[in-house]
Amino acid sequence: MKLTLKIWRQENAKTKGKMVTYEMSDLSQDMSFLEMLDVLNQSLAIKGERVIEFDHDCREGICGQCSLVINGQAHGPESHYTTCQTHLRSFKDGDTLYIEPFRANSFPVIRDLKVDRSSMDKIIQAGGYISSFTGMAPEANAIPIHHDIAESAFDSAACIGCGACVATCKNSSAALFVSAKISHLAKLPQGKVEREERVQWMINAHDEEGFGSCTNTGACAMVCPQEVQLIDITRMNFEYNRALCHSKE
Amino acid sequence: MAFKKGLFKTSIGRKNLMAFTGLFIIFFLIIHLIGNLILIIPNSFFPIEFWNNVANVHDMYNAYSHFLVHFWPVTIVAYILYAAIIIHVIDALLITLKNKKTQGEKYIIADNSTSSWYSRNMGVLGVFIGVFIVLHMAQFWLQYKILKIEHDLYHLVIATFKIWWYVLIYEIGIIALGFHLVHGIESAHRSLGVYHQKMMQIVQLIALYFSLVMAILFAIIPIILYFK
Repeated sequence: MKLTLKIWRQENAKTKGKMVTYEMSDLSQDMSFLEMLDVLNQSLAIKGERVIEFDHDCREGICGQCSLVINGQAHGPESHYTTCQTHLRSFKDGDTLYIEPFRANSFPVIRDLKVDRSSMDKIIQAGGYISSFTGMAPEANAIPIHHDIAESAFDSAACIGCGACVATCKNSSAALFVSAKISHLAKLPQGKVEREERVQWMINAHDEEGFGSCTNTGACAMVCPQEVQLIDITRMNFEYNRALCHSKE
Repeated sequence: MAFKKGLFKTSIGRKNLMAFTGLFIIFFLIIHLIGNLILIIPNSFFPIEFWNNVANVHDMYNAYSHFLVHFWPVTIVAYILYAAIIIHVIDALLITLKNKKTQGEKYIIADNSTSSWYSRNMGVLGVFIGVFIVLHMAQFWLQYKILKIEHDLYHLVIATFKIWWYVLIYEIGIIALGFHLVHGIESAHRSLGVYHQKMMQIVQLIALYFSLVMAILFAIIPIILYFK
């Protein structure tokens, strides 16, 4: 199959980027999207041009490293898929694809399609953990947890931190990402110990890193590869307001 | 956490303020609608036995508006309402300005299929409603309550809704209000943290039907008056 690719090329965060057109032919429908970019890079390398930089790691949809906005959709046209799990069969022969990096002020472009998502790491560092004694693994049944709650916490914990929610949000808000971690820990007894401090620390870090306010459009949950639910954001708001009401200052 | 900063400065605190003021304004809308509905009571309904000196809809509407202006608790609520509207607008501006700053470069191809147009354009709808409120206040509130040019509010209302372009502006304002409400009611409950999945489905249903009923009733009154 043939595809026309319009790919964002940018030297670094300080320079201006532009779209560059590449014609691809002899592609197989069974290729993954990233394999197609590999083929393109191979041809660029042979010609002696600088290859297109893009993020990727596990290529099996679990690490959250791949990004890309394809024709305006984060992680491509398939809903709840990562880019690495998107295959060329999702497109038609002769299609023109616009490939852009995740865009948000908190995600500065490193080069081409690669963006710096360490702002999300800083939010996790601010409170996305529990404090407990390390050492021997504790007895698994020491703390009884209802099956439904364990499942629900796991659904929130499934977030892979890819940043598609931020890239899709018209406000560049990381609310879905932050709320997945807050909900995950707030649902479990181990996380309840620090629930009030955690939500404040993480929200403050979220704001300091320059992410916007959530306006509940729900676009984030529609693209999330892990199907993190919008209700997690609502849960985060509840946790925040609860902490606010319990505030002693 | 300092309570003040938490309530007014953070991304969630700002949204709380939007939710509180928005829900209060909705409460007012219900009262306003009840008042408007007096206008379409048929004259055959009068005289109402339990209210002796009300002989027709003209008397009843003017008695109602006289009550609103001269009953002091209503005045207090009215000032809270003005404050709520002003805070709602200022807060919306602050949130929007900040959110504009957080956006990176614009996408060359934007796909908006993942969210509804009215949820993305609450600000635009808000501007429509804002312009409408200013016109609306200038036409009725200013002339009746502040300048006291017109003492017969019923006549003023009837005369105003005989002007076709005023009816048109009114209808556009109400349509904007309807869409603003659908997203606003759901979003307010989300901001305040109603995090139960079933409860949120109920909120979504209420948001849809409440907005629909409000918009239809508000919209139908001027049309009835225009053709009466």
